[in-house]
Amino acid sequence: MKIVAVTACPTGIAHTYMAAARLEKTAKDMGHEIKVETQGALGIENPLSESDIAEAHAAIFAVDINVEGRERFKDLKVIEVPLRDAIKNTRAIFDKLGN
Amino acid sequence: MHNVSMALEFTFSCPLRHGLHARPASQMANLASGFLSNCALTNLRSGSTANLKSVLSIIAADIRFNDECNVHVSGADETMARSVLQRFAVHELPRCDAPLQDLLRGQPSRNVPRPLRSAGVEICAGTPVSRGIAEGAVVMFGGLAIPAELSSESPADQGTEQQRVGRALAAVRERIHGMLERRTSATEIGVLQAHLAILGDISLASSIMERITQGRSAGQAIVEASQFFGETLRRSDNLYIRERALDIQEICFELLEEIYGAKRPSRVQLNGPSVLVADNLPPQQLLSLDRTLLKGLVLKTAGITSHTVILARSLGIPTLVGVQEPTSVLEAGEHVIIDADRGFLIRRSRLAVRKFYQLQSRASRRREVTLASYANKPAVTTDGHAIEVAANIASADELSATFGNGADGIGLFRTEMLFLDRETAPSEQEQFEVYAEIVRAAQEKPVIIRTLDVGGDKQVGYLNLPAESNPFLGYRGVRVYPDHLKLVRTQLRAIVRASAGGRVQMMIPMVSSLEEVRWMKKELALVRDELTREGIAYDPAMPLGAMIEVPSVAFILDQLSSELDFFSIGTNDLNQYFLAVDRGNPSVAALSDVRRPSFLRFLKHIVDEVHRAGKWVGMCGEMAGELRYLPLLLGLGLDEISAAGPDIPLIKERISRLSAVECRKLLARALECREVSEVDALLNSCEPTGSRHTLFDRELVLLRSESESKEEAIREVVDAFYVEGRTDDPDRLEQDIWAREELYSTGLGHGFAIPHAKTSAVNASSVGVLKLKKPVEWGSLDGLPVEIVILLAARESDPGGAQMQVFSRLARKLMDETFRSRLLQASDPGGLISFFAEELEVTV
Repeated sequence: MKIVAVTACPTGIAHTYMAAARLEKTAKDMGHEIKVETQGALGIENPLSESDIAEAHAAIFAVDINVEGRERFKDLKVIEVPLRDAIKNTRAIFDKLGN
Repeated sequence: MHNVSMALEFTFSCPLRHGLHARPASQMANLASGFLSNCALTNLRSGSTANLKSVLSIIAADIRFNDECNVHVSGADETMARSVLQRFAVHELPRCDAPLQDLLRGQPSRNVPRPLRSAGVEICAGTPVSRGIAEGAVVMFGGLAIPAELSSESPADQGTEQQRVGRALAAVRERIHGMLERRTSATEIGVLQAHLAILGDISLASSIMERITQGRSAGQAIVEASQFFGETLRRSDNLYIRERALDIQEICFELLEEIYGAKRPSRVQLNGPSVLVADNLPPQQLLSLDRTLLKGLVLKTAGITSHTVILARSLGIPTLVGVQEPTSVLEAGEHVIIDADRGFLIRRSRLAVRKFYQLQSRASRRREVTLASYANKPAVTTDGHAIEVAANIASADELSATFGNGADGIGLFRTEMLFLDRETAPSEQEQFEVYAEIVRAAQEKPVIIRTLDVGGDKQVGYLNLPAESNPFLGYRGVRVYPDHLKLVRTQLRAIVRASAGGRVQMMIPMVSSLEEVRWMKKELALVRDELTREGIAYDPAMPLGAMIEVPSVAFILDQLSSELDFFSIGTNDLNQYFLAVDRGNPSVAALSDVRRPSFLRFLKHIVDEVHRAGKWVGMCGEMAGELRYLPLLLGLGLDEISAAGPDIPLIKERISRLSAVECRKLLARALECREVSEVDALLNSCEPTGSRHTLFDRELVLLRSESESKEEAIREVVDAFYVEGRTDDPDRLEQDIWAREELYSTGLGHGFAIPHAKTSAVNASSVGVLKLKKPVEWGSLDGLPVEIVILLAARESDPGGAQMQVFSRLARKLMDETFRSRLLQASDPGGLISFFAEELEVTV
C-alpha cells in the first residue's frame, strides 16, 4: 500500500522526527511504501507533492497540533492520531488503514 | 537709622526629582548653621515651615520636586547668609539629585523551581533587598517598647527634666561614638554618623525641651517629639524621607533607655543560626546582633533605602521585605529557608528542599570555578582573535576586585574621586601615592589614568566653576585646564612620576580639537623638563591618549593620531553629543540608544580611522560592559574593552565563544539596519559562535547521576548548563523545559526521556545527557522508569537551522534500538560525544 503521512508536534524539536522515523521503519517492516512530511521547527521537510497525495491510498496525520495544508488531503482517507500513538503503537495505525 | 536688620528673602523652586532629601538638606543645614542669622524656609505649596539649620526640620517640610520655597534670613550677617544660601539653592541644589541606590540587578523572579514545588512546601513571597540564601530558626523582634510607667509619671521641675534629657543626649552620643571607633565599614560608619547627626539636630533637642516647658516629663517629651517627627516624615511622598522615621524612633528609644535604666528587654539575643523576623528593625539593633548567628532578615515594611537594609546589604545578610504579616504568620523557633535570590521564604522545609539548595550551592560554586578559569587567561575568540579586557575604576579600593577578576589592565582610572567631596585639591604627593599604588598593583599591565574631568554633572567646589545653563556643552574636562594651571601641573607631575613604576598611559578627557592636545603636550613637556631638572625618575615614553567623547574628534583622527598614541571611546557622552540627547531627560532618553544604526556606523568610522593611522583604540563607556553588545564590539575590531571589574570573567568567557569573523559579518548586517528594533532583533537572533562552538560538550554529559526524581534530574542538567555558561537563567530554562513536559511526558519508552524546549534562556543551543544510577519515574509511554535523559535546548532563533537539523537527526536515531543500546552502554563522556558526532554527522 502507498501511504502519505504528516507529523507535527508543539515544539517541533523531537516528537515530529521520532514519529516520522517510527512510521518509516514500521511501514518498511510491514511492506508498505510511505512518504512522511515533517512539520517541525525546521519548517516543512520532505513535502508531499500533489502526485504523492494523488497516488496514495491513505494518509496518516500523527500530530498534536494543526496540520498545515490539510485541504491537500480532502480526497483521501485520513487517519489522525496523537503523536504518542504513532511512536508507541505504530503497527496498530497501519492495521487500521488496512480495513 | 538704627542697625535694624531688614530681613532678606529669596525664593527657589526645588529642582530635585526625588524631593529635597537628606543629603542636600544636611548640606543646606551645614551652610545655614555657619551664620548667626535666623534662617527660615517656607514651603509655599504646603505652607509648612522649617528652620534651615536643622536637617530634620528641612526634611519634615516635605519639599517635593518643583515646590516653590521662600527663604527668609534675618540677623547680623543676613546679607552674606542670603547670598550663600541662594547660591546653594540655585547652583548646587540641581546637582544634588539622589543617586539611586545600586539596586539589585533585575527583578526577583519569584519563580519557584520545580523540585521545590513538587516537594509541596509552604512558600511566603517577599521582595529580596539583599541577595543570598540562608536558613535558620525564626527569632522575633517585637519592636521598641516604650516603658509602661511613662504615661502616668508626673514630671519633676523643668530644670531637672531638661537635665535628664541633656545627660541622655550626651550618653547616647558617646555610645555611638564608641560604636564608631570599632567599625571599619564605610556603610556602617555612614549610618552611625547619620544617627549622630539626628542626635545633634537642633530641632529634635528644642522640640523635646519645649515639651518639657509645657509640663511633660523628659520621657513623655521624648516620646511626643519622636511621634511628631515620625508622623511628619511618614507623610512624605519620598520613600527615603519616610524611612528616616525609623532612625528617629530608634534614637528617641535610646534616649529613653538612658533615662529609664539599663534593662533592655527589647534587645534580641540569638542562640543559634537565626532568621530575624520583625515588622521593622532599627539599624543599631541590627548592628548589635551577633553577626555569626544572624543568617537572614524578614521584614514587613523596610524599604530599599532604609538604613537597616543598606546595612544588611553591606553585611551580606539575605533579606526579604514585604512579607505579609511575618510576625503573626511565622512562629518563633520554626525553621525557615530564605531564598532572597528568587524572593520567597520556605516554611516546613523537607529533605528534597535541602537537597535542592545543596545542589544549587554546589552549582554556584562550580560556576565560579568555571568563570575563574576564564578570568586569568587572555580573551581570545574561537578563531584566534585576541582583545584586551580591562577594568574601569574610580579608586584604589577597587583594585582587588579588578585584578582578582583577571583584568588585563586598567582601561580607565577616573581621577575625579580624588578631587570630590573635599575642601581643597589633593597634593601632588597624595595623588602620586594613589597612582603609584595602582601601578604597583597592575604589575606590568597597562594603567590608563585619565586627567581630571570635572564640570558637567561633576562639580568640585574649590574650583569655583561657574554655574551654567547647559553644563554638558560648557566648561568641563580639558576645557577648564588653561584656567587652572596649578591644578593641572600638579596632577601631571603626579602621573608622570607614577610612570616610573610601571606602564602608565595618560588620557585627556573631553578633547574636541587639536589645539587642546597640543596645549596638553606643551604642559606635559614642561612638567617632564621640571622633573628631569629635579632628578626625579619617570617614563619618557609614557603614551598619551584622548577620550573620544566629542563627535568632532572623529573627523580629525588622522591629525590627532600624529600627536597621540591611543584613544578610548566614552560611549555615554559620545552618544549623547552625537544624537543631541540629554540622557537625564526622560522625554528624550529613549533616543539615546547605542544600538542606533547611525551610532554604530559612527563607531565603525572611528575604529577604522584610528586603525588606518596605526593607533590603538579601546572603549570604556557603559556599552563596553553590556554582554549583549559584545558581538558588535568584536565586530568593530576594538583593541580593548574596559568594564566593571566583577564583570570581567563573564565577558572573557563570552568572548571565548564568539567568532571574530562571524561578529564582523553581524556588525556589517547591523550597519545596514534601519531601526534600533532591527538591530535588537539581529542581536537576539545571532549566535555568532563560529565553528568551535558545539551542541555537545563533555561537561554536559553526566553519566553517574544520583538524582532520585524527574524534577531533580531535569534540574541537574539545567545546573550543568548554568555551570558551563550555556544559560544565565537556570530557573527560566527549567520552567521552559517543564512547560513542554506538561503537555505530555517526554519519556519515549525503553528507559529514555527527551525533555526539550525552544527557549531564549540558553546562550547557545545545547544537548545535555544524564545517565541515572537508579532509573526514575517519568510518566513514559511504556510506563517504564527512565535511565537516560537527553535534554535538548534549542535557542529560539537558529539561523539556517543547522543545529535543529542535528536535533531532528538525534530524535530519529532514538527510535533505533541499536543506537539506544549504544547509549545505554556508554561509560565515558568523551566516548559518548564521539559516538554522537559520528552518528549525527557533526564536528565536536
